[in-house]
Amino acid sequence: MTREVFIADVEREQEALRGFLLALCCGRKDDADDLAQDALVKAYLSSAGYQDKGKFRSWLFKIAYNTFLNHKASLRCTESIDEARTLVSSSNADSEFEHQDLYLALRTLPPKERSAITLFYLNGYNIKEIAAITETSEDAVKKQLSRGRDKLREQLKIDNG
Amino acid sequence: MDMMKDKALEELFLAQKPHFTDNADFMAALTKRLDAVEFIKQHQEATIRRYKMLMVAAFVVGIISGAVAITYLLSTPVDVPLFTFQVQTGFLLWLVEKSRLIAATGLSLLMTIGIISIISNVQDIQRMRVCLKASQKDSGES
Repeated sequence: MTREVFIADVEREQEALRGFLLALCCGRKDDADDLAQDALVKAYLSSAGYQDKGKFRSWLFKIAYNTFLNHKASLRCTESIDEARTLVSSSNADSEFEHQDLYLALRTLPPKERSAITLFYLNGYNIKEIAAITETSEDAVKKQLSRGRDKLREQLKIDNG
Repeated sequence: MDMMKDKALEELFLAQKPHFTDNADFMAALTKRLDAVEFIKQHQEATIRRYKMLMVAAFVVGIISGAVAITYLLSTPVDVPLFTFQVQTGFLLWLVEKSRLIAATGLSLLMTIGIISIISNVQDIQRMRVCLKASQKDSGES
């Protein structure tokens, strides 16, 4: 894949990718964009080995998901402080995203459940595709979806049905 | 699979689907990063190429000088010393006497150093290649 083709493909998919990462970062736009940039650089570096099977978006999402998990793991110890800081500051440019109920509810989910829910509801992937992106079994994805959905319903006060 | 979808949640997600107004800025920042990555990649590849060239040059110089030295050693009569000194002292006379042995030992040492340096260069190149591949693979998998 040449650089020009890569950039053209990314230009087409970047909004979906940023939306996905924005949900994973619970509305923190700066974090989401930084992760998106990191993920795209990683994708570019491994684009030589990418074989076009019409699944460029899934491939990007897989890299973005792994980048997000790595970032999450590296921040584990400082996360609570960061979250407190984010909640306190309301003058951020991304506050329009941050204070939406959905993002606040997503914040209560563990990263894997959050990813499964986001991929399923925001990006419209089916269970098989989510399992491929997150490299887990379909049963695990079903469990994550079920648990995540229950928690979100509870947080957002949505009735069953 | 769609049976598992929660209508209310789906609608909520779709209603809150973000729309970005800074796509051009995002792409400009990405292009800048890709330029930097490209520069580093090219620098690494150039370093590997330089290593290879140096190795080939060292190999050729070693072969030629080794061949010249061996030819010279073999072409001179056995009983004629390879080098002589103006001053005749015990030690220098001993050196002159053992000149062939000394030259052969020096030559062997040079060849050994050459072989070691070639092997270490090959290992360096392999290590750099592995690092490059690992970083590329890393970016794809992690």
